[in-house]
Amino acid sequence: MVILRGRKIKKVFGKKTTTQEVLKDIDIEVRKGEFVGIMGPSGSGKTTLLNVLASIDKVSSGTIEINNFNLQKMKEQKLSQFRREQLGFIFQDYNLLDTLTVKENIYLPLSVGKIPKTVAEKKIKDITVLLGIEDILNKYPNEISGGQKQRTSAARALVRNPSIVFADEPTGALDSKSATALLSNLEKINKDKKVTIMMVTHDSVAASFCSRVLFLKDGQIYSELYKGEKDRKQFYREIMNTQGVLSGDGYDA
Amino acid sequence: MAMTLNQLVLRSMRKNAKNYYLYVFALIFSVTLYYSFVTLQYNPAITKEIGNGISASILKAASYLLLFIVTFFVLYANKLFMNRRSKEIGLYQLVGMPKGLVTRLIAVENIILWLGAIILGVFMGFVTSRIFVMILLKILEKDAFVELSFSLEALLRTVVVFLLLLIVVILQTAMRIRRVSLLTLITTTVVADEKIKKFNVFQMFLGFIGLVFIGCGYYLSTTLLDLLNDPNMTPNKMLVQMLLILALTIVGTYFVFRFSVALILNIVRKSKKGLMSVTDVLSLSTIMHRMKSSAMSLTTITILSATTLGILTLAYISYYSADTMAQDSVSYDYVMYEDTGFDLIDEFDEEAIQFTRHDLDLLAVQADVRPLLLKEFALKKDISTLLTVQVVSHKDIKNKLPKLQLKENEGYIVGYDSLSAENIRLESQKPIQFITSTGTDEIFITEVTDESLVPNYHNYNFITVIVSDSYFQKLLHDPLNENQKVVGIELKEKGQLKKAEEVFEANKVSVEIPYPSGLATKTVSVESQETYRLDILNSLGLTIFIAGFLGLAFLIATGSILYFKQMSEADEEKGAYTILRKMGFTTNEIMKGIRRKQLFNFGFPLLIGLAHSYFAVKAAWIFFGTELFAPLLITMCVYVILYSIFAILSAGYYRKVVEDAF
Repeated sequence: MVILRGRKIKKVFGKKTTTQEVLKDIDIEVRKGEFVGIMGPSGSGKTTLLNVLASIDKVSSGTIEINNFNLQKMKEQKLSQFRREQLGFIFQDYNLLDTLTVKENIYLPLSVGKIPKTVAEKKIKDITVLLGIEDILNKYPNEISGGQKQRTSAARALVRNPSIVFADEPTGALDSKSATALLSNLEKINKDKKVTIMMVTHDSVAASFCSRVLFLKDGQIYSELYKGEKDRKQFYREIMNTQGVLSGDGYDA
Repeated sequence: MAMTLNQLVLRSMRKNAKNYYLYVFALIFSVTLYYSFVTLQYNPAITKEIGNGISASILKAASYLLLFIVTFFVLYANKLFMNRRSKEIGLYQLVGMPKGLVTRLIAVENIILWLGAIILGVFMGFVTSRIFVMILLKILEKDAFVELSFSLEALLRTVVVFLLLLIVVILQTAMRIRRVSLLTLITTTVVADEKIKKFNVFQMFLGFIGLVFIGCGYYLSTTLLDLLNDPNMTPNKMLVQMLLILALTIVGTYFVFRFSVALILNIVRKSKKGLMSVTDVLSLSTIMHRMKSSAMSLTTITILSATTLGILTLAYISYYSADTMAQDSVSYDYVMYEDTGFDLIDEFDEEAIQFTRHDLDLLAVQADVRPLLLKEFALKKDISTLLTVQVVSHKDIKNKLPKLQLKENEGYIVGYDSLSAENIRLESQKPIQFITSTGTDEIFITEVTDESLVPNYHNYNFITVIVSDSYFQKLLHDPLNENQKVVGIELKEKGQLKKAEEVFEANKVSVEIPYPSGLATKTVSVESQETYRLDILNSLGLTIFIAGFLGLAFLIATGSILYFKQMSEADEEKGAYTILRKMGFTTNEIMKGIRRKQLFNFGFPLLIGLAHSYFAVKAAWIFFGTELFAPLLITMCVYVILYSIFAILSAGYYRKVVEDAF
């Protein structure tokens, strides 16, 4: 089942005289339960692509459908509601509210709509146990480590069982150990709960956790790799190779 | 280095225009206010009207108070301005500019801004001072022509004052740049938030103490007037109690903001058990986390609001009471005493001024009011109750009290005003004892009212007893009592008042009337209610005007500070709004929480300020006039409305920030 479908996505920045085409007629499809990685050199448009798919930014032309909802046809109000109910977000700089405890942060997406308190408590408990942060619920973001912050952010993104989770460089600010822990968690949730995840990353290790990786170059999809039955090491090597070809010289990330 | 310092300054000023406008507004506003006020001191129209005595010194004292507000306002604006630019300053240092150069850069920038603001402010002050003079003369009900005069002295003083302030501001800036390290400069907007951990018992206790302090202050303020009647009262004792009230309420207010609020909010928050709605998140948790840094400024704003309101209300009470005070003292449009002023009646006839004439006999009778005293009052106070009261016959006053019914031995007391009530507390449905040559008569008092319907001739500002016509005849013929014939003139058409006043001015007479003893005489004259009213206005007008002026300055200063504060809070919280909007919360949902926060930030200081000023006014109003509730209510309403403008402005700013945050 296709959960996200993008057709001829075009994004142009700048005013009339100094326009710059960042996304050039991109077609993309994501099936339910996929863990898709987006890679590419800086300036290739990968974050822009994620933003327009996640309805945070508007396309210049083209259509995007998520769960059969056409993003371009929705008004601001409707779009916000849609984002709240169907999408989850994880960002590089965690985007947690400093004045709230971990639990309060995770509860935020549940706070609107008619979710009974007991159900909310249960959902928070399940997701935090899954991510291993059930002991720090009453701490403030400035009292916990980067890895814990990102897992809190992930818990907040997942707590409402969204149709799809968008992650923008989620491991960008983490040390490799925390990064691996987070990614294993995401991979596990993706497999066990069939949550669709789309992740932008420049880190080949992070990408090797995905089930499919798209490579962007100059605003176009350059190539794509499927993990299939390969193990992570093999897949990682494949990703490295593609990257090497992509950048023309020895890849340096 | 190709770029000179001046070029750098100009370039950064152009880039920071948005940050500047607030600061520049504060500067121009301050200069305008100060210059126009100082100009008043030197305006010939004013000096002619008010003379050089006490009024001039009131103006001078007020100008110092204004200077205080202006200083406070400008320094605060500069502080906020620097906060907003800390990143820029940090960046300058990061790229290797020495601190001295950065300081010079900011100093040059400030000098340019200040010179501009002074020029513009003086110009605007010049224009507005004329408006202020017109308002002042309007309050005094004088139709003098206002000349737009430029005062060099006022200009000089304004320039000197603001140049001194500029030096202070530059020093403040320099010290700030010197003190902070690069790291704190860059991160200052982030550390502003306090992370409340757990509340300890001591803080809870202080939160409770704050409420107790305010309560004690309020209680003491209600007992302040009783102190006046205390035989052991000394001016020192009074001062001590007043200072105690001030200290209790100010410290109490600070504690309430610093501890009580966070305490209560923390309890509410705990009760949610981590499940807070977005509205709670944006109001409850933000307020709680900011309480440490905002407690001081909220306290200041509360105290300033209370002071402003108190001053404004008291001034307005005086102004508002001028009418009633004139009516109290001169109970007809014109009052004349036996053998005086009858020329005036002829003149009125001649000028075709329509009036009704009321003839009254006013008797001075010795009376003992002891049986009338309120019981608790009689027990508490040792007072003499043998007094001269004024007695008037029922028939003479019928036109003013058409419904009054009196039996032979009944009386009705008028003129029992608030000031009399402070000295002697009387109750109705009790008898009064008149002392006559044949003994004492008991007259049953049916009612005690504060209406003042009878000219006060025999006793200044004390009660008049209306008695039945037959009993009045008895008193009238008693040789002990002194009678004074009085004529009250009531104009039929108020439109003729102006003409009547001109006639009155031209025929002013006063006569010596011998006391019954024949040993001395007293001077009485025809009295005019309107002239009396204008006299009151004249003596109070300047005070009222200054109070109004300072009140407005305080109001705008406090409102602006709150507004500036909210602006910087909004900017600091932009990140949070971005997160919430990305998560799918709409602008309206976010604004709902922000509005609740605004309600707290503006409403809470206002509410406490209103309460403070209510008790302050209640303790002191008696010295300012005769009406309390109407002027109090009107002043408070106007204040709340003007104050709300700032709340609405800052809500508008928040909406813009939230809409931009994505």
